[in-house]
Amino acid sequence: MPLRLRSAKFSPSSASSQFPSCPPTRPQCITQSAQLSRDFSQTSCQQITLRRRKFYEWMNGPGRQLKEPLPDSTNYLGAYDKYGNLVRAGPGWQRNNAKKEVADNAPAMKAEEVTKDPEAEPEKAPEGQEDLDELELAIREGEAKEKDSKAASKAEKDDGKLPPETAEDLRPFPLNQYFRSQPVLSEDLREAIYKRVKKDGATVSLASVEFGVSNERVGAVVRLKQMEKEWIAQGKHLAIPYSKAVLDMLPTTPFIDPSQAANKGKRPITHEPINDLIVHPATRQQLFVPVSESRHFTRVDAGKAFDNALLPADARIPHPELIQAEREVSQGLSFDERLRLAEARLAKDQAEKKRLEDAKLAEIRAQKVVPKRRWDFVFKDVSVESVGRDGRDYKGVGWRYGVPHEDRKKGQVKIPTKVEA
Amino acid sequence: MPRKKPRFHSLKKLNVRQDWSRWSLYSLSQLRAPNVTTKTYFQQKWAAKASTRAYHGEQLREKKWKRQFRRNLPAVVPMDHKYLARYDGSEQAAGRGEGADSEDKKRTPPMTPYMQMTYYPLERRLDTAIFRALFASSVRQARQFVVHGLVKVNGKKMPYPGYALNPGDMFQVEPSSVMFATGAPKTRSSLARKITKEKAAARAEAREQNPVKPPPNSPASPDASSTRDEPTPTELKKHMQAMMDHVDAVIAEDVKAKDKQKFRAFRQSVKKAISLWRTANPESIATLDTQLQFLKDQIASRTTPTTPNTDPEPLISDEDQAKLRSAFEKLRLETEHTSAWNPKRNSAAPYATPWRPRDYMSAFAFIPRYLEVNQNVCAAVYLRHPVARPGLAEVPTPFHVETGQLAFNWYLRRR
Repeated sequence: MPLRLRSAKFSPSSASSQFPSCPPTRPQCITQSAQLSRDFSQTSCQQITLRRRKFYEWMNGPGRQLKEPLPDSTNYLGAYDKYGNLVRAGPGWQRNNAKKEVADNAPAMKAEEVTKDPEAEPEKAPEGQEDLDELELAIREGEAKEKDSKAASKAEKDDGKLPPETAEDLRPFPLNQYFRSQPVLSEDLREAIYKRVKKDGATVSLASVEFGVSNERVGAVVRLKQMEKEWIAQGKHLAIPYSKAVLDMLPTTPFIDPSQAANKGKRPITHEPINDLIVHPATRQQLFVPVSESRHFTRVDAGKAFDNALLPADARIPHPELIQAEREVSQGLSFDERLRLAEARLAKDQAEKKRLEDAKLAEIRAQKVVPKRRWDFVFKDVSVESVGRDGRDYKGVGWRYGVPHEDRKKGQVKIPTKVEA
Repeated sequence: MPRKKPRFHSLKKLNVRQDWSRWSLYSLSQLRAPNVTTKTYFQQKWAAKASTRAYHGEQLREKKWKRQFRRNLPAVVPMDHKYLARYDGSEQAAGRGEGADSEDKKRTPPMTPYMQMTYYPLERRLDTAIFRALFASSVRQARQFVVHGLVKVNGKKMPYPGYALNPGDMFQVEPSSVMFATGAPKTRSSLARKITKEKAAARAEAREQNPVKPPPNSPASPDASSTRDEPTPTELKKHMQAMMDHVDAVIAEDVKAKDKQKFRAFRQSVKKAISLWRTANPESIATLDTQLQFLKDQIASRTTPTTPNTDPEPLISDEDQAKLRSAFEKLRLETEHTSAWNPKRNSAAPYATPWRPRDYMSAFAFIPRYLEVNQNVCAAVYLRHPVARPGLAEVPTPFHVETGQLAFNWYLRRR
């Protein structure tokens, strides 16, 4: 574990005594090296007991803080220094009364972080990427404020309050600086997403933009919530104690309910970057393309230079409609005009989707189905050519002369590769 | 004679394993960056491979993993739609000829840690995904759940722990198994049993010595019932306000309902409000549902004829009523489901009751972004394959980035 230094706000006295907050009370330490390595030998087995002693020393010292979850907070190894002190805690903080005390009117860390409009900083260097660190900082501060507002009624001493986690505090593996525990959706946010999609009938991409949650995650949340509702309707028991305990240990993205009066003017907290561009394998190589200075060399040209079929980033991100909307804003179109254009686009998309679905349905309907007692026989059109040149293509159907089945051979994997939803 | 199998958790050779044990935690705290000064390159790679493989897919044979290894690692770059709308990419080639003569420092995006992604194909396995979703306390336990038929993929039983999840697959684990896996284990020490036995004996003895007197009827009740009348509006209002305070508390309670105090207080206040009416008798309004119904009926019947008097606002506004209903709903679910899992003391349950998370769980509790988990139904969706992005690799690996690189280089050999 890399050594985390305590900041200057701590008194030197607490750092000097080794475990100020956690005296090793449990008598688990093995002080006597009683075990002998050989029956006839008088020397005790030094090696083993040293290791075990160190193990129990660590477990009763710094490791003791990790045994039970920290109330209202995450509790990862990266948040502690090597003596087992919580690095971000103030000098007055104590673990034991953290449960009782409630945070109060602490000066909100940076109020503008949550409400900050990304448009407010147009002078960002034009590299075109969102900063994940900033997003997560905003989430953490939003979460801290949420907790504050819930417990705001009771005034207590400010000293014993834990500040929100820094990125370092969220490292379960302190050595791996490229991994941290990222926030999950809170229950309220899941419910809100489900309502928006199921009750209000918003499309997945619209809900994704509104809540700052990626497309796939919106779909998954709706699917899981649907299942939860079915369970409730069936009278199955939800694992609520487990759910509460787990969500208490994890960082969560709170839901800012716009309908409440207290949240006027606040923007929803973005959960994750929604416009992730997948790195195309063709772009992994470094490429030198000489072009004339006068040429207007755009992203489209750059994509062509890498691979003829490679589209520019504008077409490959999950929400290309946002770019279109942004362009219309910059063109100075009126709101009604933009609304009309957006509706036209939506209608076009839906017509296209419907056309594809109809085609698929028509194809299914065109197949001849003979229902039998146990299985239905479906007749499809196949081509003999599909076996390919060597006759071993997986698309080929039926038993082919001279080509043995290999499924009884040693080492053939029978695990299914997909399960239909 | 065959060599003895080494210990799974050994203090002699510290290995981080995919589980929530204290040995793993201790090894995690003792991990160091690889020693690159005194070892040959081969030794470095070997050590890196050995320690990373002890964590990633140690239940797999080396050959199986080698076949799954991919040298192409997936990555994404988050794009800003505003930037894409404003520029078409040609500005990156703009030189001094186009007026860009100031050498202002451009912010370089953080490094994309590809080298921490070596083991990403293993994260696709069903047993690993169950462990990552916090449904099992170790990968081996997750594997056992799968083999024992406690896991469904897309609603169908899937007995293969090596099933490679596809993006969009939903897997669910039996909630009772999840509670068992993540709950504190039962203590079965003989000492504990002896203590409970002694306590029970002491209690029995105490009961024998002074038998329970029937509790004296509360003196307040007869005259209270005699004087009980239809409540006055002011009284009602006071009680309603007290109740709404509790409702707020219940709603705000959200995730952290460790203690049921607020619920109890709320129930008490509801009972108090109901006890104002003469028509109420405890049998008819035993459950919370009926209590709410009763309150609504009474207040509706009361406010409609008496609204002409000076009271300007109705006792319960629509907003408050919605709040009240949601609080009731929450409370009902809460009590129902929690009491199903958490009876006072249930010796039949395979975990310590009342349920609490097992020791050291919080140090390992994280859910990577490629999973979306619903803890209530113990189900999760595998959204996509794990990716690297600037400054972040989604494969949870406890090792230093150099260790990751050395391990990756080990498997690049002969490829």
